[in-house]
Amino acid sequence: MTALLEVKNMTHYFGGLRAVNDFNLAINPGQIYGLIGPNGAGKTTVFNLITGVYTPTEGSVTLEGNNIKGVETHRIASMGLGRTFQNLALWRHMNVIDHIRMAHYSQLSYGLLGAFFGTPTMRKQEKEVYDNSYRLLEIFDVNQFATQNIGNLPYGAQRRVEMARAMATKPKILFLDEPTAGMTPDELVRMIEIIKQVHRDFGVAIFMIEHRMKFVMELCESIQTLVFGEVIAEGPPEEIQNNPEVIEAYLGKEDLH
Amino acid sequence: MNFIKNFFRKFSVVPLAGWLLGVFAAVLIEFYLGEDVISYYLYLPKVPVLFGALVMLKEPILIPSVLAYDLLVYVIPILLVARLTAPLTNGLAAFLENMPLWLATLLHLIAFYGVLHLWAGINDYRVLVVKLTMIAVILTVSLNIINGYQGEFSCSHPGFMALGAYASSVLTLKLFANDKVFGAALLPPEYGPYLFPLILIAGGLVAALGSLVVAIPSFRTRGDYLAIISLAFLFIVKSAIENMELVGGPRGLSSQPNFASMPVVFIWMSLCIWVIHNFTTSVMGKALNTVRDNEGAASSMTVNTRKTKMTAFMFGAFWAGVAGGLFAHVLRYVNPSTFGIQKLAEILAMVYFGGLNSIYGSIVGAVSINVLGEALRPLELWKWIIIPLILILVMIYRPHGLISFTEINVEKLLRARNRDNDTGGE
Amino acid sequence: MEYFLQNLINALQWGSFYAVISIGYSMVYGVLMLFNFAHGDIFMVGTYIGFGIATLFLALFMPILPGWVIFIMVIIVTMFLASFVGVMVEVIGYRPLRGAPRASAAITGLMIGIIFETGNLILLGAQRFSFPALIESVSYNVGGVYFTNVKVLIIVVSLVLMAALHTFIQKTKWGMAMRAMSYDFKAVPLMGVSINIIAPLTFAIGAGLASVAGILYGQAYPVLDPYMGILVGWKAFVAAILGGRGSIMGAALAGYLLGFIEIFVAMVFPSTFRDLIAYSIILIILTFRPRGFFGMAHSTQLRL
Repeated sequence: MTALLEVKNMTHYFGGLRAVNDFNLAINPGQIYGLIGPNGAGKTTVFNLITGVYTPTEGSVTLEGNNIKGVETHRIASMGLGRTFQNLALWRHMNVIDHIRMAHYSQLSYGLLGAFFGTPTMRKQEKEVYDNSYRLLEIFDVNQFATQNIGNLPYGAQRRVEMARAMATKPKILFLDEPTAGMTPDELVRMIEIIKQVHRDFGVAIFMIEHRMKFVMELCESIQTLVFGEVIAEGPPEEIQNNPEVIEAYLGKEDLH
Repeated sequence: MNFIKNFFRKFSVVPLAGWLLGVFAAVLIEFYLGEDVISYYLYLPKVPVLFGALVMLKEPILIPSVLAYDLLVYVIPILLVARLTAPLTNGLAAFLENMPLWLATLLHLIAFYGVLHLWAGINDYRVLVVKLTMIAVILTVSLNIINGYQGEFSCSHPGFMALGAYASSVLTLKLFANDKVFGAALLPPEYGPYLFPLILIAGGLVAALGSLVVAIPSFRTRGDYLAIISLAFLFIVKSAIENMELVGGPRGLSSQPNFASMPVVFIWMSLCIWVIHNFTTSVMGKALNTVRDNEGAASSMTVNTRKTKMTAFMFGAFWAGVAGGLFAHVLRYVNPSTFGIQKLAEILAMVYFGGLNSIYGSIVGAVSINVLGEALRPLELWKWIIIPLILILVMIYRPHGLISFTEINVEKLLRARNRDNDTGGE
Repeated sequence: MEYFLQNLINALQWGSFYAVISIGYSMVYGVLMLFNFAHGDIFMVGTYIGFGIATLFLALFMPILPGWVIFIMVIIVTMFLASFVGVMVEVIGYRPLRGAPRASAAITGLMIGIIFETGNLILLGAQRFSFPALIESVSYNVGGVYFTNVKVLIIVVSLVLMAALHTFIQKTKWGMAMRAMSYDFKAVPLMGVSINIIAPLTFAIGAGLASVAGILYGQAYPVLDPYMGILVGWKAFVAAILGGRGSIMGAALAGYLLGFIEIFVAMVFPSTFRDLIAYSIILIILTFRPRGFFGMAHSTQLRL
C-alpha cells in the first residue's frame, strides 16, 4: 500500500537558520498521526512546509503520489489537504455558514461570468453548497449559529466551525494545529469525540500537532517527536511515552500528567 | 416617543409598491399643479427644484412657503396615498410574490424609473442631478468592491474612471461625430445609441486592463504600499492624458454625442447593482472577504487568492470605466483635471459615508452625498465645511460607515407587509 | 557639468521641502500606524501662519534688527503656533478614532484637509498673498554655477532641522518613547508612557517642521495658495512611504530622491512630463521593493 502523504528528506532554511532538518513522514489513508515537541521545535513550520505556505529548500513532498512541493497553497488544499490553525484563522466579518460555503470554492465550476449574471448553473451549485454547508454545521453541532457573525460564538464553537470549514474542502488528510489550545477540560473531551467522529464518518487521515499528552495518547496511532527541527523519536504512543530521550528533551523532569 | 412609534406602526403595513404609488401621486400633483397653482399661491417664483433646499438657503424669507410646498406636494400625498392604498398594493405585492423574483424586481424598477423620469422631467437641472447621482452610485458601489469587500485602500478610482471616459469619448467622437480632431463620422450617427453600450463596455475593459498595474503588485503587498501604488497610478493616468495632444491634452475632449440619456444611465446603474449584487453574494465574490480578513486561511481553504485579487481590481475598475464613459457623455466634456485628488476625496467620502461591504450602504452614501452637495450649493464655500464635518462625525460614531456589512434582500424588500402582524402574533 | 551642478543645487532645494514635510508623515505613521492625510494642509496652514508672523515682525522690527535675527524669530514663533494646529488635528480628528479602522482615520484626515482649505478661502478670500522676503537675495557665481544665498539657506536650515530632530529622537526620553511606539504601539502604553502625550507631541513636531518647510517654501516661491498643500503634501506623502513606513531617515532620503527625480526629469524632458515620470519611477520601485527603502517588516494588513 502506498502512503497517502509522503515526505522525504525535507529540509528548510530561513536565511541561514536551519528550521527543519531531514524530516521524513509517511501517513497511510485513515491513519491518525501525531507530532509533538517543545515550543519552537518547528512543528508549525513542518505544517506550513507541507501545506505550501513555504516551499521546502530540499526534499520531496507527495500527496497520493503527486508532487505538492512548490505547488500553491490553494491547489494543495484542493488536492485534498485540509487544515486548521493554531490561533484560529477565521474571517472576522463573516457569518458562520459563509465560512463553510467559502471552503467549497474549488468545487464550484460556474466561473466568474456565472457569478456575475446569476446563471442557472450558478444557482444550482450555490444551492448544493449551501445545503452541504448546513449539513456540516449540523454534524459539528454549530447549526444554531448559522447566520451569526463568527465573533459572537464561544471559543469552543469557533474551533468546531474551523473544523467544519476544513472538512468542507473534502480533505483526504486533515492537518490539525493544536486543536485543543486554550480549551477547558469539558471542551477538550468534546474535541476528542469530534475528532473520533470525523475520523470515523469521513474516513479521513489526520496529522496533528498537540501539546496535551492525554489527548495525543488517546487518539494517535503513531507519534513523531520533533526537537530543534529534527525528529528524535517515532513510534506508537506507549513507546514514545517511555522513550528516555523524549522524556529528557521534551518533558524534562516533569511528570507526564 | 409613543407618537412616533404609533406613526411607524401605522405605516409598517405599506409595501414598497405602496410607497412607489405614493411618490407617483406626489409627482403627478407636482406635475399638474406644482407650477401654476401651488407655487403661485405660496408666492414661490417657480417649482422648487430640490425640495426647496436651494431656495431656502438663498432667500430665507421663503422658508415657510417652501415647507408648505413640500408638505402639500410630497409629505401629505405620499403618506396618504401610501397608507390608503395599502390593502390594494399589498394585494399587488402578494400577487407579485408568486411570480419569478426577477420579474417582480423588473416591474418595480420600471415603476420606479417612471416616477423618477416624471419627477426629473420638470426641469433640466433635476435631470442632470439625477444622472450624476446615478453615475455616482456606480462609482461608489464599484469602489466598495475594492475598498470594502476586498479591504484594500485603493486611490486609483478616478484614474480608472478617466480611462473609461477617454476611451469611450474617443470611440464615439471617432465613430459618430464630425470632429475637428478625429475627422468625419465613420458610421451614421443613428447607429450611435445602439452601439453605445458596446462603447461603454470597451471603455470599461480599458479601465480593467489599466487596473492590472495596481492588481499585480497587490499579489505581494497590501495596505499602505498598495495605497501609494494606486495613488501613483492615478497621477500617472492624469499626467499621461495631459501630455497626449491627440486627446486634447490639458484642454480635454468636448462635444461628445448626447447618448447618455436618463433611461440609459438608469439601465446601466441597475445592471451594475444587479451584477455586483450577484457577485458579492456568491462564493466567488465572498472570496474577496476571505482575502481581506485572513489571506492565509483563504488559500488553505482552496481560495485562489491571486485570481481573487485580480478579479476585485479588474471588476471594480471595469465599472469605474463604464461610469467614466457615462460621465463623459452626460457632461459632454471631460478634461484631465476632473479626475484628480478632489474626485478621489469625493468618491472615498461616498463609500465610507455609506458603509463598507454593503451595496445598500453605497447607494445611500452616493445619493446622500450627491443630493446634499447639490442642496447646499447656495452656501458656496461653507458646503465644503459642512460635508467634511458630517463625514468626520460619521467616522467617529460609525467607523465602518452608516450601513455596513449589510446585503440587499430583494425578496424581503418587495414582499407584502400586511401579514407581518399575523406572523408576529404566533 | 555646470548645468548638472546647477540642477543639483535646485534638486537639493526642492528635495528639502519634500524631506522636511515627509518626516511629519513618517513620524505620525511610526507612532500611530496611520497616515495623517491632513499633513499637506497642515503645511499650507503653517505657511500662512509663517506669512502672518513674517509680515508682522517685518513691520515691527525691520529697522531695528538684522534680517537673519528676524528670520530665526519668525521660524521659532511659527513653529510654536503651528504645533498647536497639529495638536488640534490629533485631539479633534484622530483621538476619537484610535480604535477605529485605519481607513476611517484616513478619511477623517482627508476631510480635515478639505476643511482647512475651505476655511482658508472663507477667512482670506480668493486673493493671492505674496510671502515677504526675509533675507535679501544675493547671487553667487562659482565656476559658472549660479546659486543664491536663499537656496543655500533653505538647504542648510532643512539639514539642521533634521539633525536636531534626529538628536531629539535618539537622545531624549520622549524621542525614545516615540521609537518604542513605532516598534509596538500596544506595549508601550503598558510601560507607563501615555499615547495621549506622545501622539500630540508627534503631531506638534510634524506640524512645526511642516511650517518651517512652508516658510522656506515661501522664500523660494512666494505666491501662496490655499491648495498649495495638495501638490506638495501628496508628494511628500509618497516620499514617506517610499522611504519605508515609520523610518524618519528613510523619509528624508526619499524626499531628496523625489526632488532629484523631479528636477532631473525636467532637465531632459518637457516639464509637463515631470509627474508622469516621477510617479512611474515610484510605481516601479514599490512594485519591486514593496516595503520601501527602510521599511520594517510589519504585517501590512489594514485593520478593517
